[in-house]
Amino acid sequence: MASPPFSYAVVKDAKVLMVGAGGIGCELLKTLALSGFPDIHIIDMDTIEVSNLNRQFLFRQSHVGQSKAKVARDAVLKFRPHIDITPYHANVKDPEFNVDFFKQFNVVLNGLDNLDARRHVNRLCLAANVPLVESGTTGFLGQVTVHVKGRTECYECQPKPAPKTYPVCTITSTPSKFVHCVVWAKDLLFAKLFGDKNQDNDLNVRSSDGASSSENVDDVFERRKDEDIDQYGRKIFDHVFGYNIELALSNEETWKNRNRPKPIYSKDVLSDELAQQNGNLEKNCACDDELSVSAMTSLGMKNPQDIWSLRENSKIFLEALRIFFTKREKEVGNLGFDKDDQLAVEFVTAAANIRAASFGIPLHSLFEAKGIAGNIVHAVATTNAVIAGLIVIEAIKVLQNDIESCRMTYCLEHPSRNMLLMPVEPFEPNKSCYVCSETPLSLEINTNRSKLKDLVEKIVKAKLGMNIPLIMCASNLLYEAGDVEDDMIAIYEANLEKVLAELPSPVTGGTMLTVEDMQQEFVCNINIKHREEFDEEKEPDEMVLLGWIQPVSAAENKDKSVDNGGSTTSDAVVTAVESEKDDEITIVSTLKKRKLPDEIDISSAPADVKHQKQLEVIDDEDDLVMLDGDLDSFKKRRLS
Amino acid sequence: MSGGIARGRLTEERKSWRKNHPHGFVAKPETLPDGTVNLMVWHCTIPGKAGTDWEGGYFPLTLHFSEDYPSKPPKCKFPQGFFHPNVYPSGTVCLSILNEDSGWRPAITVKQILVGIQDLLDQPNPADPAQTEGYHLFIQDAAEYKRRVRQQAKQYPPLL
Repeated sequence: MASPPFSYAVVKDAKVLMVGAGGIGCELLKTLALSGFPDIHIIDMDTIEVSNLNRQFLFRQSHVGQSKAKVARDAVLKFRPHIDITPYHANVKDPEFNVDFFKQFNVVLNGLDNLDARRHVNRLCLAANVPLVESGTTGFLGQVTVHVKGRTECYECQPKPAPKTYPVCTITSTPSKFVHCVVWAKDLLFAKLFGDKNQDNDLNVRSSDGASSSENVDDVFERRKDEDIDQYGRKIFDHVFGYNIELALSNEETWKNRNRPKPIYSKDVLSDELAQQNGNLEKNCACDDELSVSAMTSLGMKNPQDIWSLRENSKIFLEALRIFFTKREKEVGNLGFDKDDQLAVEFVTAAANIRAASFGIPLHSLFEAKGIAGNIVHAVATTNAVIAGLIVIEAIKVLQNDIESCRMTYCLEHPSRNMLLMPVEPFEPNKSCYVCSETPLSLEINTNRSKLKDLVEKIVKAKLGMNIPLIMCASNLLYEAGDVEDDMIAIYEANLEKVLAELPSPVTGGTMLTVEDMQQEFVCNINIKHREEFDEEKEPDEMVLLGWIQPVSAAENKDKSVDNGGSTTSDAVVTAVESEKDDEITIVSTLKKRKLPDEIDISSAPADVKHQKQLEVIDDEDDLVMLDGDLDSFKKRRLS
Repeated sequence: MSGGIARGRLTEERKSWRKNHPHGFVAKPETLPDGTVNLMVWHCTIPGKAGTDWEGGYFPLTLHFSEDYPSKPPKCKFPQGFFHPNVYPSGTVCLSILNEDSGWRPAITVKQILVGIQDLLDQPNPADPAQTEGYHLFIQDAAEYKRRVRQQAKQYPPLL
C-alpha cells in the first residue's frame, strides 16, 4: 500500500519527547528542529564531559559540567528561536515522568545508552499507549526500531543479550583471551589490592592453603607496617605472576589439554638497576605532584597506543602500585575500577599484559586495554547522524498513523546487496512477551484500611477466579496459598492480617502487583490506586477492579487489515469495564489481545490504566556508546 | 523492576518446587526479619548422598539469581571455607552446568542444579580445582580426605 503523502500538518501539531541528549540526541534534536517540530521535550540526566565534544556538536568546552538537556536546548534555540524546547536535567526513571507525563506526547524518541532505561521507557510507552521510536549505535553499527503497542513488537518482545560475563574458573585459572586477563586484573587483582577488603575475592584460589604452607597466603596482600613500597610491589608481583602460576602448574590435570603458562618473577624481568632507577624517579616526580598520578608520565612513556614490552609492563605495574600506595593512600581500601582513572587503567593494562605474557596471549596497548576494561566501543558521529535522520523519518510515519510503512532499519558496517542501510518490516508483537502481552488491571482500594486478606478473598479469588494464588510485589513474595514451608506460613499469615500499606513491601497507590496461580497458567498485573472513600451501597467491598473484561468470543481475532491512517477504529477502543458480576470467568481466553486502540488519539486511551513502574536507581552514564544488545537480536532476524 | 523475565521464571521454579521436589532437599526464597520474601535469593539445603562419606550432612547452599537469569546461571555458594576440591574459598561452586560458557542452558531447573551439586559432592572434578586443600588431600591423601569429609558432614546436621 502506498504511503499517504507527507503532510506537514502532522509535524506542525506534534509534541514529542526525546530521551537522551548525547551522541544520537544532539543529532536528533537538530534534525527535529530543522524538520519543523515545534514542541520538543528532552530528558537527560547527564552533564557534559570533555570526551563528548568531538561528536556532541551542540556542546562546547565552556559547557563542560552543565546539563546536556539544557545546553542542547539553548544551542538549538539560537538557530530556531521560535520553537518550544523543554529540557529536564533528570533521570527518566524519576517518578515525575509517570504514565500521565508520557501521555501528553504523540511519539517518544529514544537516544539512550543503556538497557535499563530503554526497558523502562518501553514500559511507560506501552502503559501510556504512546508509540516509541527506539535507537542505538555501536561504532559503525546502528539501528532504529518502531514500537507501537499491539501493532509491532515492543522493545522487550525479543530477549536482549546482557553484557558478557566470564566464568570464574576461566578468569582465575585458565585465561585464553586477552579479555580474560583484563577481567582478572580489574575485578580480582585491582579489587584485592585497592578495593574493599571485605569483598569476596577469588584471586587466590589457594588462599585456604593453611596446611602446607607456613605463611598464611592471604597476608601477602597485606602491606606490613613500614614495609618498603618497592619491596612490597615486587612481593605482590612475584606472588601473583610467579608463585600462583607455579602452584597452578603443579596441578597436572588442568594442563593436559591446555598450554602451560610460565611463571614470571620480577627479578627475571627487571634487573637490579630498577631499584636505583626508581630512586631517581622518586626524586623526579616528587617535584611535580600533578604528573605523578600517572605511572606512564613518571616513566616518560607517552603514547597510549604503544604495546609495551613485558619489561615496560612490569615497570608500569610496580610504579602504578607505588603511586597508589604513596600518592593516593587514602583511597586504597575503597577504590573501584573506573575507566577514567588514568592510574587505574595503567595498572590494569600492565597487570593484564603480564598475565597475558605468562599465558602466551598477545599483549595489547593501554588504549585497547582501556576499551576492553571499560566496555567501550568508540562512537562514530556519522552513524549517529544517519540514525537520527532515520528516527525522524519513522517518527513522521508514526505521526501519520502509517504504521504499515514503518521499518526497522539497521545500519551496517559493510554493504550488503550494495546497501549500508537495511530496512526490515516490523515484527508482530510476541504473544508471550512478558511486557506487552499482559493486560493491566487496576484496582481502586483504600491501601490504609484494606488488608491483604480482603484483596485475596474479594478480588484474587472471587473476581479473578484464582485457586491457589501467589502475590508478588516486584520480586518479593507477599503471599502464597497452599502448602509452603513452616517459616513461610508464619510470614504469610502475618501478611494477610496487615493492611496493604504496612506490608513488608508496602502496597500503596502506584504499586504494581503480580498475581499468579499455582495451577492455572494465568498471570496478571494489577495497578493499585489508592482511594479514600467508597459508596457503601454500590461498592460494599470497598474495592473496584477496573479493566477486567468479560470473556468475548472469537470476534476479536486480529485480522491483518490494518486501518490506514483513519483515526476512528471505534469498536476496538478499550473502555474500562467494571466487572462486578459474579459470572464464571474463563480466565485463559479473556486476557488475549484486544484489538489495538487508535494509536495516536491519546484521548481514547483508557484513562484508568495507570502503569506506574517501580523505580530503580541507575547510573549508567557513559560518554561513549556502550555496546548495545540490539545488534545481536538483529542477526536473528530475516530480511522480509 | 526490570527483571520481568527472571522473576517470571523464578515464580515458575517456585511453583514447580512446591509441587514436587527430591527428598531431603530444601529450596526456598530468602526471608528477611521484616517479613520480606525475596525471590531473587534462595536458601537451599543439599543432603549428602546415602552410602557416601557425605551422608548425614545437610549442606546449606545459597543461590543468587540475577536479572539476567535464566540467560545466565545463578551463583551458587556454600558457606565460606567449605571443604571440597571444586568449591572456591569464598564458597562459590565451580561446576560446568553453572558455567555460562560451557554447560549452562536456560532450561536447567533449580532442581537439576541442586541434584547436580549433590552429585558433585561425592564426585569431585580434579581437572578444575578451586581450592588447594581439598584438591591436594583428594589426590594425595585419600584417608585424610575421607576423614575431613566425614567431619564436615557432622558439622552440618539435619535441621530440627
